[in-house]
Order: sequence, then structure tokens, then C-alpha cells
Amino acid sequence: MNEQLLVVNNLTMKFGGLIAIDNLSFSANKNQITSIIGPNGAGKTTVFNCLTGFYKPTSGDMILNKEGKLIPLNDYTDFKIAKYAKVARTFQNIRLFPAMSVLENLLVAQHNDLMRASGFSIFGLLNLKRYRDKERQAVEKAKYWLDIIGLTSRADDDAGDLPYGDQRKLEIIRAMCIDPKLLCLDEPAAGLNPKESSELNKLLEFIKNDKKIGILLIEHDMSVVMEISDHVVVLNYGKKIFEGTPKATTQNKEVIEAYLGSEE
Amino acid sequence: MNSEDLKKNIKDSLFTGLISLALFVPIVGLRTEIQKEGLYIDPQWGSTFILVAICVIGRFLINLNSQRSEKIDVLGKFSSGVSNFFSGKGKQFAITGILFAIVFPFLPFTDRYILDVGIMVLTYIMLGWGLNIVVGLAGLLDLGYVAFYAVGAYSFALISTTFGWSFWVCLPLAGIFAAFFGILLGFPVLRLRGDYLAIVTLGFGEIIRIVLINWYDFTNGPDGIGGIPRPSFFGLEFTNNPKEGVETFHSFFNLEFSNVHKMIFLYYVILILALITNYFTLRIRRLPVGRAWEALREDEIACKSLGVNPTNTKLTAFAIGAMFGGFAGSFFATKQGFISPESFTFIESAIIVAIVVLGGMGSQTGVVLAAIFLIGFTEIFRELEQFRMIAFGLAMVLIMLFKPKGILEHREPTITLHGEKK
Repeated sequence: MNEQLLVVNNLTMKFGGLIAIDNLSFSANKNQITSIIGPNGAGKTTVFNCLTGFYKPTSGDMILNKEGKLIPLNDYTDFKIAKYAKVARTFQNIRLFPAMSVLENLLVAQHNDLMRASGFSIFGLLNLKRYRDKERQAVEKAKYWLDIIGLTSRADDDAGDLPYGDQRKLEIIRAMCIDPKLLCLDEPAAGLNPKESSELNKLLEFIKNDKKIGILLIEHDMSVVMEISDHVVVLNYGKKIFEGTPKATTQNKEVIEAYLGSEE
Repeated sequence: MNSEDLKKNIKDSLFTGLISLALFVPIVGLRTEIQKEGLYIDPQWGSTFILVAICVIGRFLINLNSQRSEKIDVLGKFSSGVSNFFSGKGKQFAITGILFAIVFPFLPFTDRYILDVGIMVLTYIMLGWGLNIVVGLAGLLDLGYVAFYAVGAYSFALISTTFGWSFWVCLPLAGIFAAFFGILLGFPVLRLRGDYLAIVTLGFGEIIRIVLINWYDFTNGPDGIGGIPRPSFFGLEFTNNPKEGVETFHSFFNLEFSNVHKMIFLYYVILILALITNYFTLRIRRLPVGRAWEALREDEIACKSLGVNPTNTKLTAFAIGAMFGGFAGSFFATKQGFISPESFTFIESAIIVAIVVLGGMGSQTGVVLAAIFLIGFTEIFRELEQFRMIAFGLAMVLIMLFKPKGILEHREPTITLHGEKK
């Protein structure tokens, strides 16, 4: 049931003399939410940037199990990770396409499928049925996700005009529209009020249980982490200091020291 | 209004007067005249005083207006009225515009000169629409668009004069050459954004022009290329003294020979070319590649995270934009019959960019309005001579002040879930 989805081995990332990630190894399972937590500057986002191809790690391996096929993520660079390895991500500061409508945002996420169906624009320009059908399917898929987060009525509004909480959710479903195997969420609960935060938890639970994919989560909001994570990895200064269940994490002495400082 | 405000206002107005005095004395007040003994200064205190007075009173009134509780915002109202007028009725406006463009050559007031202005405006509309793909949709500020115009014009001129092929064969070839140059330019500048991209494209535009001047053996340098064949109407030539065995347009239709026939024909050629550009842009905007262009303009990093290939997407934008520039260039070459590097200076690029930006980035109708405004009006006010550029600058300042996002800033979504909004 809980097969391994992602294995990270001895991942190291250096920026000049600064070691942002130091020999990090962890794994994430399918159908589970794995949280990466740690104080500010611990290297959490850097791990994401390595996984999603924005940085090339100095050394180490990242292997994704895509339906039995082992894919080394190191071999892919930037957009190819999302295109071929199907690793999707969101950003710490929301990155939507603000001047485009909500629906358009979700269609851009299905770009590669639509591009193929449009025959690299040639069939699309001729308005062939093959492309029109594919486009209708893409809209259906977008509508499916909009129904889930309850934003269908605002599908034609500019994404930049949505309230903050809805923008967060939209960014998550936009990432889901690429049909990822692994979803990396960078602080999805940042700036949300308790109500929005619990809606977010529900959305993530739904994605985990219904879509059968693995979720990697960076989060500062401990209520979110404790409530929905199955597995927690704690980083401090680029090193893994603890890995285990949420409950065990709260009781670990080293983790508490990292967050609150040690008693002298 | 209290006396405090009034005092402030007067102080501000007097300060404005001081600045305008400092500006107008050297510009207007001291005019140099040539006499037998040499130069002497002919002071123009009267007109200087009037100009300064206009500035002072104008400033005073503007301040007065802004201090009132209810501001009189004539220009703001006017400009928002304009965009409201067009945004709701995009379709009607487009149809009326096209119909007007079709009957334009036969209207009573249309003479040769007006027709020539019409052709020029349409050429710039087409260039604007072509550049709109690169600047408006893909968000890549290209200050060297004239390079593709030049490549199109020169490849058309060289192919047609060397091989003697007809207009309709050379036109697509010129477009393909220009698209090829678009990709060639695209590769090195892919990593650049914003200001840096603008500088490099500007340089590219100049490189093309300087190569055209100096590669004498191939391009005939500053002497230019003459004798470029004119387009023919299904093989019928527009000439009074045809070569042996060539049928002419006027003899075929039993008309009196007139130069206007050729002009009308050229007008319809550029109209069709421009409409093709527009139709193509409107269609491709609704395709995945068009949406990817706009997404790239909005946020390149988010695009990468969704698996959109930014390199290919940008290159297609450059290539397609360049292709339409090339078509317009071929038309320019065949219309003029003679081209030289002088026609492809930086100011041309600047005007095309201005048309796109002032029209409202990405707005097709906006490009039309801006082209009519900038090209048509400056052409009609040709008698004003050097003040033409002042009018040009004034138009830009006014639009940037009251419509910083362009005349028509409204963007229609490329696809809707609930149908068009009313």
C-alpha cells in the first residue's frame, strides 16, 4: 500500500561557500502527506527547488517512482520535471497569471496535452474537431477542480481579482491540472485564516485519498502539519535532525531545541 | 476653498511661470536671423510672454480644479468614455471598421493623397498587429522590430529583381526569411528580460541596418535597390506602356489609364494582408500557444513549474511576429519600387512600439486607433513641419497620463466557462 514514491539520497546543495542542504536523505510515500518543517533558513524551499528542477543539486540523487518506472530527477531541468516526471509545485508567494482568467490559468497547466492535440497549432488554426474535443475535455477537467474548491462561479474572472485564500487554492488545483504524481506545496497555509486553513486541510486530504498521489508539504502552521501529515522531516541548517510521525516529532528534544532554543 | 489653498495655488503657478520662462526664453524668445553682416538676435518677447501666461493660467486652473471637492475630469471622462464605447461593442466596431476600410477608396473625398495616407496607416496597423504578438501577448519588449521589416523588404527586393519571380511567390518567401531571422535573434536573447532584452533587440535592429549599408556587393549599400517589380492583378500589369505581349489592367477592363488604379489595388493588398494578420492573431491567441505566450508574460517561473517550455514558446512568438513584419516589408518594397537602408531606422521601430503601447498592450482595436492617431494625424498635419514631433510627443504624454495602460486596456478572456459577460 505505502510504496515509496520519492527517495532522496545524500542530497547536497552548495551556493559558493554556503551549504544550504547538507547530505539530506529522506523518502516520501505514495498516498501520504510528507511535511518538511524547520526554522527559517533551514533549506526547505531549496529542497523543493532541487526537486522541481529550479536548482541543480551539487551532489546526491533524487529518484521518483512513476508507476514502477524509476526516474532520476537529476536528469531533468526546469520545465521538463513538470512535463515528463510529473512533479508539480506551488510557490511560497503565490505565482498565478493575475491578468488571465481563472479558467485560462487552469488551461495553461494543461498546455502540453493541448499543444499535442492542436498539432503544434496547425490543427488548432484549422479548427479541427480533434482539437475542439480536446479543448472541451480540458475545460471539463478545469471545471471538475473548480467545483471541488467552489470557485466555478468565478471561472471567468481575472485570477488576480480573487481573494487571497482563493488564490492559494487556485494555485493548488492549477498544479493538480498537470496530473502530477508528486505535488510539492510551499507553505500553502501562509496567510490563511483558521476557516480557510481548515478548508485547505480538507482539499489536501481529498487529493491524497482520491487522487492517490504523494504530497510534499512545507509548512510553518503547526496545526496544519499535525492534523494532516503522515510523516514529518525536520530540517535545521540544511541537515535532517529528525524524521518520524507527527506525534513523535513534537516530543523530540532536538526538534524543540531547534525551534525554541536549548536551555543552558 | 480657503485662503491657505489660494496662497499655495498662486505660489505654485508663479513657480510654473518661472520654469516656463526659463524654457521659453532660449527656445522661443531668442530667434537668430541671418543678415548680410552675419547672425543677429531677433527677440520675440511678445510670443514668449503669451506662452508663459498660458502656462501660469493653465497651472492655476488645474490647481483650482484639483482643490474643488468635485473635480472636473474632462480628459479622464473622455478617455474612459472611449474605452467603454469600444469594450462593449468590439464586434460591431470591428465590422464597421472593416466595411469602412473596404469602401474607403471609393468615398467622394478620397483622392490620391488620402489613399496614400490610408495605405501608410494600414501598413503601420499591420506592423503594429505583428509586433503586438511579441510585445502585447508574449511581453517581450522588442525595440528592433524594424529589422524584420527590413529583412522582408530586402529579401523581397533581391529575390524579385534577381529571379524575376512574381509578387505572390516572393511574398511568402520574404515572410519565411524574416521568420528565420526572428528565430536567429530569438536564440541569444531568450535569457534576457525587460530592459536588457530591449537593448539587445535595439542593437539587432541597428546591426541589420548597418549590414545593409556596408554589404555593397549584395545589397547595393546606401544606393538602395530600385526597379522592384510591382504586383500584378492576376497577371494584369498596372502600367501605361506595357512590354510586348503583356496585358494591362486598364486595357483588359476597357478603362482609361489612371495611376489611381494601382493605388487602389495596393490599398486592397495591404488591407487583406493586415486582416490576415489580425485574424491569425485572434485565432492563435485562443490556442494553447497563445495562452502560453500570455502566461509567459505574466510569470515565467510559474510557466516552468507547469511544464511549459519557455524557449520554444518565446521563439514561436518571435518567429511569427517577424514573419508578419516581413510581409509588411515586402509590401513596402513593392509599393515604393525602391528601398534603401534609410527607410529602416530606429525611429520606425520606436513608432511601431509606440503604436502597440499606446493602443493598449495586446489590444487589436487599440492598435488601429493608435495607428490612425499617430500616423494618420501626423501625416495630415504635415504643414506644421517641425511641430509634428511635438504633437507626437504630446499625444504620448497625454495617453500615458490619463490611460497609462493604453487607449484600450481591456482584455477579453480567450475562453469562457459561462459565456460572454454582458
